[in-house]
Amino acid sequence: MEVRSRDYAARARATLRDEPGVREAVIGATVAFDRHREQAYGEVDADAWRAWASDVKGHALTNLADYLEEAERRLTENGVVVHWAETAADVHSVLEGVAAAHGVRRVVKGKSMLSEELGVNAALQGQGIEVVETDLGEYVIQLFGEPPSHILGPAIHRSLHDIQQLFHRVHGTPLDATPEDLAAAARSALREAFLTAEMGITGGNFLVAETGTLALIENEGNIRLATSVPKVHVALVGIEKVVARWSDLAGMVQLTSRAATGQAVGTFVSMIHGPRRDGEPDGPEAVHVILVDNGRTGMLADESTWEALKCVRCGACLNVCPVYRQTGGHAYGWVYSGPIGAVLAPGLLGLDEGGTLPFASSLCGACTEVCPVRIPLHEMLLTWRRRAVEAGMAPTTERVLMSAYAAAAKRPALFRIGAAGLRLLPSAVRRRLPFLGSWLSVHGALPWSRPSFMRRRKDGPT
Amino acid sequence: MRDGILTRIRSALAGRQAVAHPGVFVGSPPSGPAIEAFADRFRAAGGEVERFSNMDEAGDWLDGFEHAFEGVAAGADVPTELATHLPSRPAREAPLGVSMARYAAADTGSLVLDSHGGQLPQLLPPTHLVWVRADAVVATLGEAIEAARGDLPSALALHSGPSKSADIGRVIVTGVHGPGRVVVGIVG
Repeated sequence: MEVRSRDYAARARATLRDEPGVREAVIGATVAFDRHREQAYGEVDADAWRAWASDVKGHALTNLADYLEEAERRLTENGVVVHWAETAADVHSVLEGVAAAHGVRRVVKGKSMLSEELGVNAALQGQGIEVVETDLGEYVIQLFGEPPSHILGPAIHRSLHDIQQLFHRVHGTPLDATPEDLAAAARSALREAFLTAEMGITGGNFLVAETGTLALIENEGNIRLATSVPKVHVALVGIEKVVARWSDLAGMVQLTSRAATGQAVGTFVSMIHGPRRDGEPDGPEAVHVILVDNGRTGMLADESTWEALKCVRCGACLNVCPVYRQTGGHAYGWVYSGPIGAVLAPGLLGLDEGGTLPFASSLCGACTEVCPVRIPLHEMLLTWRRRAVEAGMAPTTERVLMSAYAAAAKRPALFRIGAAGLRLLPSAVRRRLPFLGSWLSVHGALPWSRPSFMRRRKDGPT
Repeated sequence: MRDGILTRIRSALAGRQAVAHPGVFVGSPPSGPAIEAFADRFRAAGGEVERFSNMDEAGDWLDGFEHAFEGVAAGADVPTELATHLPSRPAREAPLGVSMARYAAADTGSLVLDSHGGQLPQLLPPTHLVWVRADAVVATLGEAIEAARGDLPSALALHSGPSKSADIGRVIVTGVHGPGRVVVGIVG
């Protein structure tokens, strides 16, 4: 998709100013997601589970080339066609080839963040192929013509009222239709699509090297349908999705589900081993897996941030993030938002495109606290901020003030004069100062101690 | 393309300490008997559970249950003792789908279904009846997955309740794409 991360601040301001309903809807949804997650962690030994899962992913990533080769062998033995893709353009050309070979005119899709990252829908539509998103939330935003605003709930920024109006226009449902009525309207339109599409496209939550298993977690059943009804199934799988062993799946699907929605496990988990076999009454004739790099090998080489590749895309860090909660995902201007988006953006897109997002954080560390695979997200955000500053990307006022502070801090006399000067400023002037002014605009004025800390330290207790 | 990616990975990892595999996941096995724990979890997720001590008892219950439906799409691996007397319909038209589960896992309330008998009866009809043998109900998902290892069909699927979504107005709606009603019959 088109990346607009550089305008984060302007987009965030615009969302808050022009669409106040978004903040309300996003806070409602994320607080509920986080409450469910917290309860679900509380039911199990979450610390032990998370340490285990972090090592499962760490093990696979630190042996990634070997496990990818093993996965490729098993997939091929299972009758799956394996493709490798370095860039989005490579993925598009594989998809075009497969679609042409099977005479595909209509595609049903399961929710896949990777497909959004790669701009798959636009590429297929450019080939004259109809693309239908089938996850209910994805279907809603496809009709709105919007990108997803959350990893798990792509339409959480939209209220029931918004969707009632949309469906009234598209499906002729009444303006006061219940969520059940709206879901029923979507179901019947999408059922028709499932039964007529020639190809299903999905992502993949895990790819097991030992058995060549593609595992997918969901709640609606649309991924089950997209992978079993059409004659061709194509899965887009980031190379970081590999786990070593069949026995890793049980723990990974449970922990991902608990972190994402608070469920013991998602309602449906598909574990796919290839096309329909002799004697099986249904299933696809052909299954393709596209292993996608698109910047991931570059991240793997980064000593400080490679562990972000452990991410299982549960959305827990978005739900708990005080910055994400204010605007939802669209302000971030990219497919991944929230703390993980702010770490992946510079990692996958480079500092120039993604370097502003690490500043969209209060560095409170709540993201790190909830991450099911223990990615030290707030430390990575700091790392990227430091790199952005070193690359001269900090906002001008911040750069000037920080250099002034650094100069003063190195010269005690200058520091004392500066500090004394700030103490003497009338509060009306303080309110106009950069940084201090914006702090004072939302917080009560801090009563400043008359004598400075250094003075009091020297004079001793009074 | 492939070799380029693998070469970049190997060079990215040069000198990086490999993380040891942490071993088999332990999880949280239920404290009580597996069948009761499974039934509790499955019901909590919105499913229905019936318990029969033998095939005859299950068959008698089925005679009553099937009256509500005018046709069925049944998996090819459903034993004849547990088959309905309803006329067979293609899965896309059938009001009832019937399948045989390979295992059920108590800790997650999951049925382990496979593609040997067909996947469409598990997915397209609005009501799904799933049979499982009492001795195939195990304590944990880890055990069920391990038990399936020897025979992995083209698709193995966990079904842990009716299809659901909260994507519209954060209200939970069932039967969005898959079956909105799932009934499990545990036999034996």
